[in-house]
Parts: sequence; C-alpha cells; structure tokens
Amino acid sequence: MFQIYLPIAEMPVNVFLILGMGGAVGFLSGMFGVGGGFLMTPLLIFTGIPPAVAVATQANQTVASSISGVVAHWRRSAVDFKMGGMLLTGGVMGAFAGVYLFSYVREIGQVDLMISLSYVVFLGIIGSLMLNEGVRALLAVRGGRSGAPTHRAHHNWVHGLPFKMRFRRSKLYISAIPPIAIGLFVGILVAIMGVSGGFIMVPAMIYMLRMPTNVVIGTSLFQIIFVTGLVTVLHSVENQSVDVLLALLLLSGGVVGAQFGARVGQKLRGEQLRALLGFIVLAVALRLGFDLVMEPADLFSLSTGIAP
Amino acid sequence: MSTLFRILSFTLALFISSVGARADQLVTDLSRHQISIRSNFTGTEILLFGAIEAENRDDTTRARDVVVVISGLEGPVTVRRKDRVAGIWINYDAVTFDRAPAFYAVASTRPLPRIASRDTLSVTGLGLAHIVLGRATGNGPTGSETELSAAQRDTFATALLRTKEQQGLYRTEPNGVSFLGRSLFRATISIPANVPNGLYTAKVYLISDGIIVDAVSTPLYIVKSGIERAIYAFAHEKPLLYGIFAVVFATFAGWAATLIFKD
Repeated sequence: MFQIYLPIAEMPVNVFLILGMGGAVGFLSGMFGVGGGFLMTPLLIFTGIPPAVAVATQANQTVASSISGVVAHWRRSAVDFKMGGMLLTGGVMGAFAGVYLFSYVREIGQVDLMISLSYVVFLGIIGSLMLNEGVRALLAVRGGRSGAPTHRAHHNWVHGLPFKMRFRRSKLYISAIPPIAIGLFVGILVAIMGVSGGFIMVPAMIYMLRMPTNVVIGTSLFQIIFVTGLVTVLHSVENQSVDVLLALLLLSGGVVGAQFGARVGQKLRGEQLRALLGFIVLAVALRLGFDLVMEPADLFSLSTGIAP
Repeated sequence: MSTLFRILSFTLALFISSVGARADQLVTDLSRHQISIRSNFTGTEILLFGAIEAENRDDTTRARDVVVVISGLEGPVTVRRKDRVAGIWINYDAVTFDRAPAFYAVASTRPLPRIASRDTLSVTGLGLAHIVLGRATGNGPTGSETELSAAQRDTFATALLRTKEQQGLYRTEPNGVSFLGRSLFRATISIPANVPNGLYTAKVYLISDGIIVDAVSTPLYIVKSGIERAIYAFAHEKPLLYGIFAVVFATFAGWAATLIFKD
C-alpha cells in the first residue's frame, strides 16, 4: 500500500514514510533556521536509499528550500551580492573538486565510508560546539548574567591578507582570499555530503569575516542556491544519481513541516534552541559513528561493475 | 494470414508427430513477452503455459518434471568484504564475477534435488547453487589484483548468491510449476520491482526420470514503463539536461512554496 517506485534509486518506498521524513526534518529546519540536509541525508541512508542517490538528491532538494528562504531576505535587501559572488567563486571550484572526488571514491568502493566519516567528523565537532555553547548560555542566563558572547578584537589575521576588496553592504574592507577559501571548502562539503553547508558557512562569516549578522543568512542562502544547483547538475552528469521524484516528495513534506517548525521556534529561546540542535546533531553523529565501529551484520556488499 | 499459418504449422506438427520414433516434446508460450513496472506496482508476476507432447500418452510409469528458468543481463558484479581497519569497518578485499546474471528465477514441479542429479543440475546451471557466475578476479584493498583460492572464490560466490536472494533477484519456487491434467502445465514466477530493464530468456526444461529430454527458450523483455521509465531514461541518456531540469524544477518548487505560505 502507498508504495511508489523511485526511478533513480531503483527501489520502492512508502510515500508517507518519505513525506513524513521530509516533514519532520522540515519542522526542525524551520524551528532552528538551518538547512536540514545534514539530518536528511543520514535519514535517507538509514532508510536504504543508496548513499550516492541520497547525497545528490538532497543537494537538489536544498536548491528548493534555499530559494524559498532567500526570497524573504532579498525583499529586506539583506544579501551582500559582492560577498556572495566571492563565496560563489570558491564554491564553484569546490563543487567541481568535490563531485570528481566523489565519483573517484565511488569507483574504488569507499563512498559510503567517505560519507559516514565526513558526517561523523563534522557533525561531531559542530554538535559538541553548539551543545557546549547552548548549555553554557543556559547556565549563564539562569545565573543572571548575560549570555551574549563578547567580541574582543575587531582585527584578526584575516585583515593581514592581500587582494583587499570593499564589501559595501557588509561594511567590510577585507582580502578576497578568505571568502573564496570558505566557499571552496563548503563547496566540497556540499558535493560529498549533500548538505547546504550553512552550518560551516554562517559561523565562518560571523567569526572569521566579521560580517554583520543581518546580511549573513541572506548572503549564505544566495550562494548556497548556486552551489547546490551546480552540484546537482554535476552529480547528474557524473553519477546519474539525482532522483527528482524523491526530491519532490522530500520538499513537499519539508515545505509544510518548515511552516510549523518556524512557529514553534519563535516560542523557544535562542540558547534552548542551540542546545537542542546541538544535541540532535550529536545524536546523528553518534549513530553514524556507532555503525562504523560495530561489526556489521553482513560483511559483504555487491555493486554492479568491475572493481578497479 | 496468421490463421492460415497456424493451420499450416498445426498440420506440420501433426505430420511430425506421426513420423513415429521421437521423444517427449515441449510446447510453451509466455503470457506476456514484455513486462512493465509501474509506480503503483511493487512487482509483478508472469505466467507461462505449456504442454508436453508425449511420445506415449499412456505411459504413466515415468516421472515427468518441468523446470522454468528466467535469467539474463549477465555482467560483472563486484562483491566486497568489510574488515576492521583502525577500529572501523571498511570495504577491504573484493572479488569480481564477470558474468553474474542480474536476475535469475527458477520454478519447478518439485524441489530440484528430487528432479535430477547434482551433476545434471550443475551442468545445465539449474538452481541457485549452480548459477554460472563466470570468471572470478580477486582485488586487494588497494585495488591490485590478488591470487584467489578456490575457498575464497566460494566464500564470495556464496555471499553474492545470498545477497541477491535477499534482494529478491535470485529466487527459487520449488512448487512454481503445476500440471493441469496430464500434459498441460502452468508456471508462475514473480518479478520484483528492482529487476533491471533488459532482455531476459525464459527457458523451459522437460526432465524425464532425471534426464533432460527437451528444452525450449523464449525471449522476455522487462521494461519500466510510464513516468519512472521516462525519468530513468532521461537521467541516463541526457544527464546534463536532466540535471538542469532538476535544478529548474527545484527553483520553481521553492518559489511556489513562498507564494503558498506568504504571510
């Protein structure tokens, strides 16, 4: 009942399971204001969708969710297009590098390992940091002190680099190298993990580039659209692993979920949100890590084609 | 025209059958030569009807069995084995079989070991244990070719058969063929949704007292039809255009969402 055949994943799935997963992750992403790809890709893999299809399809789905996100920021003119362009330059290079790395690793039969390992490492680090900061802030608020982080130095090593450019909307005069480097790094992550990369990009823009927070989200979404779009096309060309039917189901669930999530999110305090998100991220990382360390039930796996 | 042909072949058959000294023969037909997999399906079933033209109709002393095999799309399949490296389980060594069928189903009137000897089954490639997988090549963790012992080959071949069986791609139906009366028989074989597209062969064997007396084969096309087939073909034949389409589609969907939920 309610089974649908996914043409690219080449397997039947339950429509309501996929819609429900899209809804649940959409709810969390609306609540926390994050992309949700870092939760969706592991969930799809747990469901039995081939990891390569999960990553490429999630990149495609992220295009849709970022478009709906950027429109609001565009109207408030909270997008720094020049900064976005620099990040995008790096992002394009990263996307190419990442997708070619992905297909090479897929050929040698280690793509599942690469995806799992990158998730464990990145989610582990980000989750611990968020949980730590969130819990500290919560304790500080309870103790009656201000939970806001203090910005000490206004100048860091970023300001010593050459090729300085003026970014009017961000009110910055900095080197073009850090935004390109950040874009490159995030582009690779988009290609091999199917995430939007916002969880790396946003902190990097705030703490490394010292961009004003009001333009950070809009600008990162702006560049995410193009990078995830490019990654979708490249994965399609290299691996034929983008499942539009799966993407449609995910984004239908996600759009509805995000609306409810955003409403709940407004009722929770920032510190609580951060601690909770940190906890979820850490749980996903632990689950993936656990799967890597535990002896698998079946040591053997099949793939069509010749081993190199 | 076709009626005329049928009459002709019928008289021809009569003529041949009257020629006397000849063994039992098979006459078969598939219910469908083309199988379509649609989104509302999780698989399908094919029916094969046939009849035995007996040499001696009244001879009931001999056991007659029918075995139906559907298989095809032989190609290389790599089996990888995980091993623990630095605390984590990673794909370590691999064996590639160069002619493993993508799908293999065998249906019979009785369990195969009771129909024919192990040697007969093995030579003909009947039954999961006797599927022809082709030449095996071993690969070490770095991808270099390695020596392959018979025991290693068996370990990996068993793993391949077990996994394919779990995926429903290699299957046995020991009571899948039933006789309707003395000479008419019917075979039912289920085809799961994950069967790859392509040309397969349906082979029917007539086994009498453990000896194969006749074999007939018919082609069988398995095709994913409808929207899935269209999407699959689009993605594999024009991947660049498909990727661009996916992005445009997502852009439109994202934009539509902002209109629907505009505050």
